[in-house]
Amino acid sequence: MRWSFILNIIGMLILFLGICMIFPLLFGLYYKDQSILPMVKSMVITIASGATLIICFRGVKVPYISHREGMTIVAIGWTAIGFFGAFPFYLGPEVETFVDAFFESVSGFTTTGSSILTDIEAVSKGLLFWRSFIQWLGGMGIIVLSVAILPFLGVGGMQLYKAEVPSPVPDKLKPRIRDTAKVLWKVYALFSLLQVFFLLVGGMDLYDALCHAFTTMPTGGFSTKNASIAHYDSIYIDSVIIFFMLVAGINFSLHYQFLRGKRLAFWRDSECRFFIGAVILLIVVVTFNVYGSVYETIGRAFRYSAFQVVSIVTTTGYATADYELWPAMSQVILILCMFLGASAGSTGGGMKCLRVMLYLKYCYKELFLLIHPRAIKHIKIGSVSVPEDVVRSVLGFMGLYVGLFAFSTVLIAAMGVDFITSLASVAATLGNIGPGLGMVGPVDNFALIPNLGKWVLIWCMLLGRLEIYTIIILFVPEFWRK
Amino acid sequence: MKIIIVGAGEVGFHIASHLARENKDVVVIDKDPAAIRRVSDNIDVQVVIGSGSSPVVLKEAGIKEAEILLAVTDSDDTNLGACLVSDLISPSTKKLARIRHADYDEYHEAFREHAPHIDTLINPDIEVVKTIEMLMNVPGAVEVGEFADGRVIFVGIRLDKSARLVGIGLSEIFAKTGKQSPLIAAVVRDEELIIPRGNHKLEAEDLIYFISEKDKFRDSLSIFDKHVEPINRVLIVGGGGIGYRLAALLEKNSVYTKIIEKNSDRCIELAEKLNKAVVLHGDGSDQELLKVENIQDMGVVVTLTNDEETNIITSLLAKRMGAPKIITKISKFSYLPLMSMIGLEQVVSPRLSAINTILQHIRRGKVLSSRSIKDEQAEVMEAVALETSDIVGKPIKEISIPKGALVTGIIRNDTVIIPTGKSVIEPNDRIIIFAKKQAIPEVEKILAVKLEFF
Repeated sequence: MRWSFILNIIGMLILFLGICMIFPLLFGLYYKDQSILPMVKSMVITIASGATLIICFRGVKVPYISHREGMTIVAIGWTAIGFFGAFPFYLGPEVETFVDAFFESVSGFTTTGSSILTDIEAVSKGLLFWRSFIQWLGGMGIIVLSVAILPFLGVGGMQLYKAEVPSPVPDKLKPRIRDTAKVLWKVYALFSLLQVFFLLVGGMDLYDALCHAFTTMPTGGFSTKNASIAHYDSIYIDSVIIFFMLVAGINFSLHYQFLRGKRLAFWRDSECRFFIGAVILLIVVVTFNVYGSVYETIGRAFRYSAFQVVSIVTTTGYATADYELWPAMSQVILILCMFLGASAGSTGGGMKCLRVMLYLKYCYKELFLLIHPRAIKHIKIGSVSVPEDVVRSVLGFMGLYVGLFAFSTVLIAAMGVDFITSLASVAATLGNIGPGLGMVGPVDNFALIPNLGKWVLIWCMLLGRLEIYTIIILFVPEFWRK
Repeated sequence: MKIIIVGAGEVGFHIASHLARENKDVVVIDKDPAAIRRVSDNIDVQVVIGSGSSPVVLKEAGIKEAEILLAVTDSDDTNLGACLVSDLISPSTKKLARIRHADYDEYHEAFREHAPHIDTLINPDIEVVKTIEMLMNVPGAVEVGEFADGRVIFVGIRLDKSARLVGIGLSEIFAKTGKQSPLIAAVVRDEELIIPRGNHKLEAEDLIYFISEKDKFRDSLSIFDKHVEPINRVLIVGGGGIGYRLAALLEKNSVYTKIIEKNSDRCIELAEKLNKAVVLHGDGSDQELLKVENIQDMGVVVTLTNDEETNIITSLLAKRMGAPKIITKISKFSYLPLMSMIGLEQVVSPRLSAINTILQHIRRGKVLSSRSIKDEQAEVMEAVALETSDIVGKPIKEISIPKGALVTGIIRNDTVIIPTGKSVIEPNDRIIIFAKKQAIPEVEKILAVKLEFF
């Protein structure tokens, strides 16, 4: 582990983050609100800290980054970015304690969308823009962005990329990692722009359209309104957002293939079929469950259940209805959606459809082998066999995910939080969704969680965003052994 | 520039890493998931698992946009297949195949001229034999290369402790020896390659790379206290493809040759094909056999079996028994840095030869040949100075030559010029450039035609 080199790179990430603060500052200046001074202060602190790290540890040139160093840089880098991203919140008048600011910031970067703010509309425009903007940065990955636009990473970019975008079956769209990162960001930016356009057509003002596009494409879920998307109460805006949430929940390499002219790309991908199929099935079930009991017309039932199901399963976390008033079955389905999550290679969180698919196929294989003990059977995705080690790592991932969920839930419950809230708050942060149930439901927020509990949830959000291994590995003693 | 490499073995792996370092778009195809994994874990390239001769796989890898296809698996058949299939799908892609079997020797031209085309067949064995021959002729040389059709020689030699140049700065060589020093391109000390300046002092055990005209080569060597002696007796251990080629060549040059081969059938075959060489059936690492065959009186011992470890052990044994000069064939790259440590400095590697030959075909501009030296730390290239490139028509000191690169020779018609800062490169001169690996992309740029001429 070459620490000076690692700290040098982290310094660059922090410096880069500091430069990004120019955008909310511009909005602050435009609206002449109270976010200007805190934003300038944060920018100075962040840029100075980044520059100090770079200068203190400059001149270390290494030809490659090892696998371990890549993971360390990503894990520490994300924590550091969450830390410095918290300053605009902390230095402003709206957030009081540093834990709250840190929580809000990490919730932003990890595209969770859980908030400690009670009155969002009272917050200054500049700060709200920052809140949305960090989701956009975190969605496709701030390190992927650095790999794409900063030349210094070079070959080592690959190790960082792998640590930040851990996918069971990695896709490399272009021969060079830098080009791959660029392509992904271009597709991401293109869809974000499209969404801004469609929201403007629907009558949203430019500021709100930008903020919402910046939180839809990364499946983040921060809104600029207290009532989230319900504020607009427009079928058009609901549909636009549903569409873009689904887009964000699909593997971005499929979007790239589609844009390159492969019209059948989505249909040919079995994970995409599984994802869309699951979404449709769940919408139908929830629609019939809430029809009659909550909503009188089938149309309204469909409108609200479609939005809620897509919002949760893509791990975005917007709301147009308070699903806590829905029947228990719908609530249970939504909680299970939090675990399912979106596709691998998308900006969504959760366990990811691909892993769940592999897991189900593995279970079937075990049953099959009980019936035919001498059979040789491969687990296949499409028509390609999945290598044994990939299946093993998926099983490990599922085990760790459930284990960490249980462990964190116990920790939260130990702080005196009620049963439903403990379960739902951990599920919602570990899956990077946002709202949960109980005290942290769609119309409530995370302000009432005890401070210590907020730290646990911050940890969960980071675990979820970096798909467990990159963070948890730092807690394994073997990792640090020379 | 997009390049597809079929085969992720040692050759494919190293070419891929070489090219990825130079920011080229590389796609590697191999059947073996483990080999592919090694590539994707270590090199920034795209990978495809599948057979390189399958049209579907080649299409998936993007053969249509590829400028060059390199088929470098260990199987001649797969390499040929990959090139032929590619020619059907994408005739404009330049195709290179690594072919090792001697039977193809006469057909290299035929493949180039008749459809389906293969632009270049590369047989590393031929290159290896050439290198062995050169190494034999230069005492103390660790590496030898020829440029300009053999008129210029590029040599790496180890400076002996007793040499008179130990402790002498480069600019004082003339004063010390009374002879014009050849151009010293690089010095390797403690495994680190540096391009020396005039005040650089040479030390014992330095590895010195210099360029010399063939005619003045003996003089140049004598400056470093090395002297050329004719070789009359050679012992070859291992009668495989390379062993046979070498024996046949030596026979032609009337050098007394003995060849030891373990496989008795192969011995019979060798004895049929060779006329004067003595074919011995036995194990090269058998000390008794080596003693009986007077190994200490052999001018050169060359170990060429297909087993790395046998070659190393046999060479060490020969060294201990007093053989004056030993050349060892090593294929595994991870062994190469160890060789000088155990005292076996003269090493040939068919894979390295393959890489060198392939690299020269990939180089842009009119690069005629190139070879990488010292664990790929640097490269020597021979190129034609194009009329429209940046380097012609002005004194060398005014050309913005990239840092870490050096023009070490200019060949104009029949004369070889060792350049000074005032020398001017004229159009169609052939130049020899020495470049550290970081400088290679830049060097390619200055060699290439300026854009406005397209």
